[in-house]
Amino acid sequence: MSTRILTMSRAGREALDWEMERRDEIFCLGEDIFKFGGIFGTMDGFGAKYGPERVISTPISETGFIGMAAGAAMEGMHPVIDLAYIDFIGVCYNVLLNTASKAHYMSGGAVKVPMTLLIGTGGGYNNAAQHSQCLHATVAHIPGVKVVYPSNAYDAKGMLHTALRDDNFTIFLTHKATAGVGWMGTPIKTTLAEVPAEDYTVPFGKVKIYREGSDVTLIGLGMSVHECLKAADALAADGISAQVVDLRSLVPLDRDGIMEAVGKTGRLVVTDEDYLSYGVSGEILATIFERDPSILKKPPIRVTMPDIPIPFSRPLEQAILPLAGRIADAARKLMA
Amino acid sequence: MTTPVIIPADLWDEDDKTGSIVLWLYADGASVKQGDLIAEVLVEKVTLELEAPATGTLRIQVEPEVVVNKGDTVAVIE
Repeated sequence: MSTRILTMSRAGREALDWEMERRDEIFCLGEDIFKFGGIFGTMDGFGAKYGPERVISTPISETGFIGMAAGAAMEGMHPVIDLAYIDFIGVCYNVLLNTASKAHYMSGGAVKVPMTLLIGTGGGYNNAAQHSQCLHATVAHIPGVKVVYPSNAYDAKGMLHTALRDDNFTIFLTHKATAGVGWMGTPIKTTLAEVPAEDYTVPFGKVKIYREGSDVTLIGLGMSVHECLKAADALAADGISAQVVDLRSLVPLDRDGIMEAVGKTGRLVVTDEDYLSYGVSGEILATIFERDPSILKKPPIRVTMPDIPIPFSRPLEQAILPLAGRIADAARKLMA
Repeated sequence: MTTPVIIPADLWDEDDKTGSIVLWLYADGASVKQGDLIAEVLVEKVTLELEAPATGTLRIQVEPEVVVNKGDTVAVIE
């Protein structure tokens, strides 16, 4: 039989299902998961298959149920929480910042917190300032938590297996537009991948080179990877060879992989749908300037969301997203 | 022998609604097994599943984003 092509949503669901079938300590928590399977379908059908003790629909009370999950993890369970949108992390931020991420250290290693928090991020679909944010830097900034951000179905399945087998608290991000769920429209082709039926892991902390190129390096994460790929197609038509790099994992961050990739071209465009200031794009540049700025032939350019609330208006939102046109323009500027 | 892959009349309730293929889970020319999930169909933000009616080689006839109705042949299995 041929290999299936899956969406990120289906691929992640398959990893979670495989682990739940074999490990009683894994259980699911979140809003609308028992009947509906979560807004990204990651737990689709799990209510009927695993029952209400392992698939728990919660009230809209993130402080309560994520705090409860951290407690369950400390007692030997492995909760998997569907937090829907990252815009809501403010409600449970103390659990993330001070409890789940710190208990291992504060207990001198006596307490483990194996817990996987699934969160959807990002905009581009006119859902306004409180439902469109990426905020991945806001969670990657917390010491004591791993943060991963796959951008295609193969990595989604392999990295979720890795998260579920990790004894540490892991935040597993998926950009809404990459998930491949019907309510976001036709899936983006570059998010789809051939996914083996058997289980496999993809390690954290390694960049993925989506496309080789010799003139300019385009670094992205989540949805911006797919905009980089579109930009690379447009640049190829102009005779510019663009390399496309997906960070995939923010904590740990593959600083060696970043240096190696940028060193190949000497020209860098960093793309990020999170806000410009104090974020991942600055962290990438800081890494290069600390390690060896001489690899750069030109000052790098950042193409990110500006530091403003994200507009509801489609034309206004489209104007500020790090889309392929802006990315390609930045790359052309570096080649001029 | 070929078996058509038809959008079943009971895939969704209302007869006047149309759908579209969101995604083929196998490439054109892939080998599929009877009962395999082969496509997702979107009807009013709800994603529905289409299974292979036979075992054989999938020949896709309708690409994603094209309007489909109940009873339409969207592929054949050879």
